[in-house]
Amino acid sequence: MKLAWIDYLLLALYFGFVLGIGWIVRRRVSTSEDFLTSGRSVPVWITSLAFIAANLGAQEVIGMCASGAKYGIMTAHFYWVGAVPAMLFVGIFMMPFYYGSRARSVPEYLKLRFDEKTRGLNAITFAVMTVFSSGISMYALGILFQLVLGWNFTNSVLLSAAIVLVYTLLGGLTSAIYNEVLQFFLIVLGFAPLAILSAYRAGGWSGIVSRLPENVTHTWRYLGNANANPMGVEAFALIAGLGFTLSFGYWCTNFLVVQRAMAADSMSAARRTPLVAAFPKMFLPFVVILPGIAALALSKMNVGYTLPSDNYNLVLTTLMAKFYPSGMLGIGLTALMASFMSGMAGNVSAFNTVWTYDIYQSYIRPNAPDAHYLWMGRIATVAGVALSILTAYVATAFNNIMDILQLVFSLVNAPLFATFLLGMFSKRTTGNGAFTGLLTGTIGGTLLLSLTVAEGKGGWIAQMYTFRSSMAQNFWIAMFAFALCFVVTYVVSLTSPPKPVSELHNLVYGVTDIPKDKEAVWYKRPAPLAIIVAVVLVILNILFW
Amino acid sequence: MDDLRVPIGLIFTLFGVILLIAAFAAGYRAELTDVNVNLYGGIAMLVFGSVMLWLARRAS
Repeated sequence: MKLAWIDYLLLALYFGFVLGIGWIVRRRVSTSEDFLTSGRSVPVWITSLAFIAANLGAQEVIGMCASGAKYGIMTAHFYWVGAVPAMLFVGIFMMPFYYGSRARSVPEYLKLRFDEKTRGLNAITFAVMTVFSSGISMYALGILFQLVLGWNFTNSVLLSAAIVLVYTLLGGLTSAIYNEVLQFFLIVLGFAPLAILSAYRAGGWSGIVSRLPENVTHTWRYLGNANANPMGVEAFALIAGLGFTLSFGYWCTNFLVVQRAMAADSMSAARRTPLVAAFPKMFLPFVVILPGIAALALSKMNVGYTLPSDNYNLVLTTLMAKFYPSGMLGIGLTALMASFMSGMAGNVSAFNTVWTYDIYQSYIRPNAPDAHYLWMGRIATVAGVALSILTAYVATAFNNIMDILQLVFSLVNAPLFATFLLGMFSKRTTGNGAFTGLLTGTIGGTLLLSLTVAEGKGGWIAQMYTFRSSMAQNFWIAMFAFALCFVVTYVVSLTSPPKPVSELHNLVYGVTDIPKDKEAVWYKRPAPLAIIVAVVLVILNILFW
Repeated sequence: MDDLRVPIGLIFTLFGVILLIAAFAAGYRAELTDVNVNLYGGIAMLVFGSVMLWLARRAS
């Protein structure tokens, strides 16, 4: 890929604006809560776009395009079975407890609902996970830029990390969220033309369908049998594993995304955040997955496009090189950089909050003046970025370890979702139950991962079972970890006394006032929004049946 | 000035103008398409940026 000076100009302008936004919102920071939780003051259109942008990191964008080329339109299940139903669930059913509890983070909710040890377990797992994830995606981006543009790994990693550091340090979570909105628009406007151009060149959707095998252009039709579709899964594993366990686990319990909704300026806005976000989210497959499918079709057309089938992660950039002239290429590259930054800033701004409130304030130094925690929040921001960079370098040397970590991380939210379900909807669940369940579920899942193998991954201890694909492995083990945590939590809870009901107000269903918002106009009420999303979602699934 | 629509509007207007200049002044071409990508991309960004600026102006 060859860049002209104009492409660098566009990229530089973007860097300038990102830093400028940080500079403008820095004035809003005077307390630790301003810095770490935005002081609950952000309007709903901003929180909802940040809600999806924080998840739309570079790995997501590159990975979705790669999966589009590998698995076809079935990849859209990650959105239409996975993310969107989960977003409806978190908005309607879970946000009243998150926001109503006045907790500042997901671990802090666990402390209020259960006890100190459950919070500690979740806080430490989460902190480690965010730092490693952000480092791994930094590594992936550095490698990609090196491969495609010939940029020096160290320079591109350090430069992008430095910019994220400066703007999150200046304006804290508000700055991260505001920039995520800018980044969201850039990602959409930067990649949508690629989807349009590549699909158009491949003859539109009908042209794509005519050139590809049937099981690549249908979402549901070939799900009856795991052998009939490229993903190697059947409908049950997809719905229960990907949909219910993994996606609900991710979108409902991962502080990285929940934090965005918790920054909203009212309970109603917090509940509407994931619901409003579901609208653009439903259509993102047409921006990030469609180019991958079009690439697969183009590769069979003899027009001079070859699929990089030894490394699918290059599908997106090879398409950009073929369809974008200098100018638009700069925008596409900026969009890629923007997706990386939104993902990284999301990780860093979630990490610093959990570290400051749930680890430092809880275990290391309680009862300090607020200014001290504001200072600690800033230190944690710097440390988060530094540790990410370190991880990126470790990844260059120990690639296999990072692969293993990613496999384990992909399971962490599955048992946690069981903990939340039992905690939010049953007064009987106790701290001992939650802690034991979470620990057993996580360890049990990891153990199963090390006993089974799929596409050469997993099975570090023994290879007792081989899954048809790594997707199948991921989905089934997530279901196992969820079920294990659920059962253990339930059983252990029965052996220990529950918290008195007076301590569970605003934390558990049945003793929490769920706002009705009856007087608000319909589009400001959660239920009508959720119904519209559900209807459109069903239509999309039928269209691509 | 704290309205986020202002910086978003500004950057996309700017991007739009730069792409339009590139569309007319430089003969950048992509390998696999005859469409003048910079022209249409530039128009789209200019429109989006202007709408954002207009919305921000209306609100203040």
